[in-house]
Amino acid sequence: MKNWQRKSLGLLLALSLMLGLGAGAMAEQVVQLPREETLYFAGQQWGAVNGWNPLSDDMNNAMALTQAAGGSRISMFETLYMYNMLDGSFTPLLADGEFVWNDTMTEMTVKIKPAAKWSDGTKVTAEDVAYTFLSNIKYSTAQGNALKPFVEAVEVVDEATILIKAKLNAEGKAVNPLLVLCYIEQTYVLNKAWIQTLEARTNSDPALLKKDPGEDAVYSGPYHKFFADPQKVVLVRDDNYWGQDASMWGKLPAPKYLAHTIFADNPAGETALKAGEVDVCQQFIPNIQNLWLKDGLPISTYLQEAPYGICVNMPTAWFNLDNAALQQLPIRKAIALAVDYDAIIANAMTNQSPTFAQVPRSLMNPTAGEQAAYDHEAVKDLQWAGNDLEGAKKLLDEAKIVDTNNDGWRELDGKNLAFNACAPNGWTDWQAAMEIVADAGKKIGIEITTNFPEWSVYQTVVTAAHQDQYDIFMMWTDSASPAMPWGRIRQLLSSEFNGVEGNWSGNWGHYSNPRIDELLQLIPSEADAAKLKEYFTEAVKIYLTDVPSFSLMYRPDQFHSVNESVWTGFPDSEDGLNIPPMVMINGYGIAGLYHIELVKK
Amino acid sequence: MKGYRKYFGKKLFWFIVTFIAAVLLNFILPRLMPGDPVAVITARTARNVSDVSAVKQIYASYAEQFGTNKSMWEQFVIYVSNAAHGNFGLSFSQYPRPVKDIVLSALPWTIGLQFPAIIVGWLLGNLLGALAAYIRKGFDKVLMPLSLFFSSIPAFAMAVILLVIFAINLKVAPISGGYSYDMIPNFSWNFVRSIITHYQLPFWSIVLTAIGGQALGMRSMSIYELNADYVKYARFLGIRDKKIVRYVFRNAMLPQVTGLALSIGTMVGGALVAEIIFSYPGLGTTILQGIKMADYPLISATTLIITVMVLIATFVLDLIYAFIDPRVKASQFE
Repeated sequence: MKNWQRKSLGLLLALSLMLGLGAGAMAEQVVQLPREETLYFAGQQWGAVNGWNPLSDDMNNAMALTQAAGGSRISMFETLYMYNMLDGSFTPLLADGEFVWNDTMTEMTVKIKPAAKWSDGTKVTAEDVAYTFLSNIKYSTAQGNALKPFVEAVEVVDEATILIKAKLNAEGKAVNPLLVLCYIEQTYVLNKAWIQTLEARTNSDPALLKKDPGEDAVYSGPYHKFFADPQKVVLVRDDNYWGQDASMWGKLPAPKYLAHTIFADNPAGETALKAGEVDVCQQFIPNIQNLWLKDGLPISTYLQEAPYGICVNMPTAWFNLDNAALQQLPIRKAIALAVDYDAIIANAMTNQSPTFAQVPRSLMNPTAGEQAAYDHEAVKDLQWAGNDLEGAKKLLDEAKIVDTNNDGWRELDGKNLAFNACAPNGWTDWQAAMEIVADAGKKIGIEITTNFPEWSVYQTVVTAAHQDQYDIFMMWTDSASPAMPWGRIRQLLSSEFNGVEGNWSGNWGHYSNPRIDELLQLIPSEADAAKLKEYFTEAVKIYLTDVPSFSLMYRPDQFHSVNESVWTGFPDSEDGLNIPPMVMINGYGIAGLYHIELVKK
Repeated sequence: MKGYRKYFGKKLFWFIVTFIAAVLLNFILPRLMPGDPVAVITARTARNVSDVSAVKQIYASYAEQFGTNKSMWEQFVIYVSNAAHGNFGLSFSQYPRPVKDIVLSALPWTIGLQFPAIIVGWLLGNLLGALAAYIRKGFDKVLMPLSLFFSSIPAFAMAVILLVIFAINLKVAPISGGYSYDMIPNFSWNFVRSIITHYQLPFWSIVLTAIGGQALGMRSMSIYELNADYVKYARFLGIRDKKIVRYVFRNAMLPQVTGLALSIGTMVGGALVAEIIFSYPGLGTTILQGIKMADYPLISATTLIITVMVLIATFVLDLIYAFIDPRVKASQFE
């Protein structure tokens, strides 16, 4: 054989050997997710996952790292309790039994379940809880920043018991016990030893620590990383999950894989849902009922009829109270009266929201718990229904804000009333709502023009300490949580955020009312239910009288629609299981994973 | 070759001048956009923080990470020296992913989609155009309006039409993604086949529009050349058509080659629409996201790549032209 022939044959043999070995190694890996073992998601993960570090807020890992007061995503990391927004209840997860307040509601005792274990086999202990809290504070994470003003310390009593101390005010009462309730259901409990490893390799530098991708994170939840690239993220079930113990769920969750394809935009996710490539979809789908009524697809929502989901927050139109004209109450009230809210709910939300006739406006969301918090009779006359053009015109006429020169627009101090109504570009339902507001203004003689800047510009302007660019603009309000409706009142009306540059917390119109601030101090520690109702009713009265902002519609925390072509048994309002429609992994919504089953058995 | 020195020298000089201007503009323009991207990232950590100094601290620490707390000139110098080493900094919108990672993971998909599509579209289009010009009669009567039709269809319309017909109605093609939604990337035939299947619709949506455009262009050029004096003269001399046609099409090709070079130069950003509609994991969607989120490092890096590719393409084209266009050769010796 010629030399070159020998050489090339040798090379070929070496290559095939390598390929063979490689193929052998590959043979162990799952390369195609079995459809009947996978639950597919859409509408949560946008863009590539950066990592799995639970102490970082920059991981962009929606499926595994989302800590929210309405129910954290507990697929990989777990909280002490699971919140259920349907009835405000707390179900113990890592905790054992109920939490116990002391008499003065300044300290809370929580026990840890004996069965709770980490992925490395060690037990979950009180040390883990305490160290996680300390780390959140030390490294200024979002959790730490949110809790610092309200939780003083988390102390170890014994291996399986913690004592949570609320921050006290000058009178020795807890500043806000409601936030302690949020803490126990919203903040992950992390493994102390792993945090210490992280600290060691990043030298405890906060910036470095938060940039660390945390691929080796120790978890206690049922799922962990299987695969992640810019096109998809997949979590795989850990069959040693402690939660299959009788003291918890008693079995493993049904799907072996939780997968989320990273779609470019909403329509792509919606197309995939219709095609059966997505099982659980957290996206607003206009006229979703047509998918089963007209297209005959096996798609369903939590409620069989409108509003199809449980609405727990109110997208709100804010008046910029730094604008002199908008400081006139009749102008604000008139605009709010004139808007056709039914049109907004029909067009912008395609009826996926209760109307203001069904749930009259207040500071509370439509859920039974919050609706019971205030006296409806006392504020009935203040709760306008909208589209009241005559009432609006009368208000303005009585305030002598009229059109003196007959050009169609009313004047204030000689100048025509003209405002802009703003929403971020691309948020089509919000844009539609602002168009309807502009239309209402036109009908009562106030010129309102819409303006839809890009989100990156919009948020810079809205969160500035002072701005003169947007007159009427939309922002969200917080959803259900243990701290509601107090939290929403704070977000809408508290003057504590005025003057803060980069204000992401609320009151973007810069309203100020000392009585509201007083109520916000009184409400959290009030134990007398009757007194509490009085306070809430007073707050609603003030809100509906001063109209610093007004609700445009109601909205769910998570949109929740499911395709039942592969999996079935998803939670619905009539199954009696009391599982909230929280896309199967938020808070108590995760109970759904233990109830779904395959269509074909 | 000596004659070419002046020609190449001049081209090289302008290449460098344009390159410097491009880098400068590339850096400055995105940063002139209104809006503060650092504030968006701060929002994640600063929500519910009412303490002014705490928010300032969080903002300052992120500004430190991105270097936005330095003067524009300082930032530019740092940017250029880093870029020379291939370090384009951290992305704002996908913090803390480095821009290089984002671009490198998306680039192969875009190039893999665009490059063959451009070449195939160019080849097929020119072939059809040339044939139409030469054969005329019935072939031309059908091809001309068809090409006009296809080239006029906007890219997004072509993509959506193909998606609706083949993926949603006929269900013969996948609806989105670079590969099957249930696959994990691996070295197997199944996976490669999946990539090829998912490649079809985005590929054809680009090619069909390109064919239309190229066919029209080539047809016009060919007709012009076929009616030129030298062709008539050569025919009178009795030279066979087969020999004449070779010269005709070489001349007709020149503007088409220019077009091809420019297409290749801009291909990095060019598949935006197809990528978005098919959720194809290329650079187009990345650029769009970057622009929406005012992600300066990402925008600067991707536009720099596009600029450099166009510059190189036109420069190489100038060099090639010197050889294939006899008129350039002739002008060197004047």
